[in-house]
Amino acid sequence: MGEALVVWLKSTWISHAMTTSQWAWPVSEAFHFVGLALLIGGAGLIDLRLMGFLKSISVSAVMQVRKWAALGIAINVVTGVLFFVGAPDQYIGNPAWYGKLLFLLVAIVNVVIFETTQGERMLRLPAGEKTPVSFKLAGAVSMASWFLVLYFGRMLPFLGNAF
Amino acid sequence: MMELLQALEGSAFSAWVRESPSIWAYPTILTLHTVGLGVLVGANWMVDLRVLGFARAIPVTVLSRAFPIMWAGFWLNAVTGAVLFAGDPTTKGTTAVFMWKLVIVAVGVVLMIALKRKLYGRSIDDRTASAGVRTLAATSLVLWIAAIAAGRWMAYV
Repeated sequence: MGEALVVWLKSTWISHAMTTSQWAWPVSEAFHFVGLALLIGGAGLIDLRLMGFLKSISVSAVMQVRKWAALGIAINVVTGVLFFVGAPDQYIGNPAWYGKLLFLLVAIVNVVIFETTQGERMLRLPAGEKTPVSFKLAGAVSMASWFLVLYFGRMLPFLGNAF
Repeated sequence: MMELLQALEGSAFSAWVRESPSIWAYPTILTLHTVGLGVLVGANWMVDLRVLGFARAIPVTVLSRAFPIMWAGFWLNAVTGAVLFAGDPTTKGTTAVFMWKLVIVAVGVVLMIALKRKLYGRSIDDRTASAGVRTLAATSLVLWIAAIAAGRWMAYV
């Protein structure tokens, strides 16, 4: 299955453009790092608040930067897919890539569970109030998993063979 | 100048950065450099965007707390950046895009200091950031994109 997928992806024009154009890959990398910084800034601010820091901001106010974190994720999903389509064989079979996907999944599951179980309570938490333990846990898991996504992304060429 | 760079490149430390097979050498230094980038630029962008009028429910006064975080990211990258430079000085030291990156980062840091002074030097009404402060924030936002692009470009020279 993996083999056929790799062959098919590499036959697409996107894959061709990513690997033959002088600019496509480097420009996508630059965007990927811009997305990374947006995500760390946005999600980091929210996570710090959930962990009980910056209590003088209400949680609902801090959630206003969520769209910037989401933009960062969107940029990185698009550019990440471009890298994968460009050179699928350097990700399939690369242990760092699976580490990256695993912690991406942890981050997503964490936010979904937190939203569905604590979403309304979260938006009602005013400034200055004591932060519930579940909030602190969700914030810490989120921050740790995003930094691990970054870690395994950076390790792609070192634990595996990506360029 | 070239002799100095060559001497640095010939040092044991430079060889360690360049050649050590340990995952704790070059890969970890590079990872920390990426973490510093995310922390410095991410925190600075949140302040820039707030000044530009987004996320208005967040009081500007609270965001003064973001500046120590930016400085932590900056110093992490000054140190890891110096180490990365030591590993490859004759190439990096003679590459125009590296010089551009240093200049852009320097201006970015100056703007970061200026923004902090403008915002907190005297108490300003956070709902009516002046055109000057907004220009500062917008320039800072764009400069960090340029710094990231220049940094990424280094991988291809």
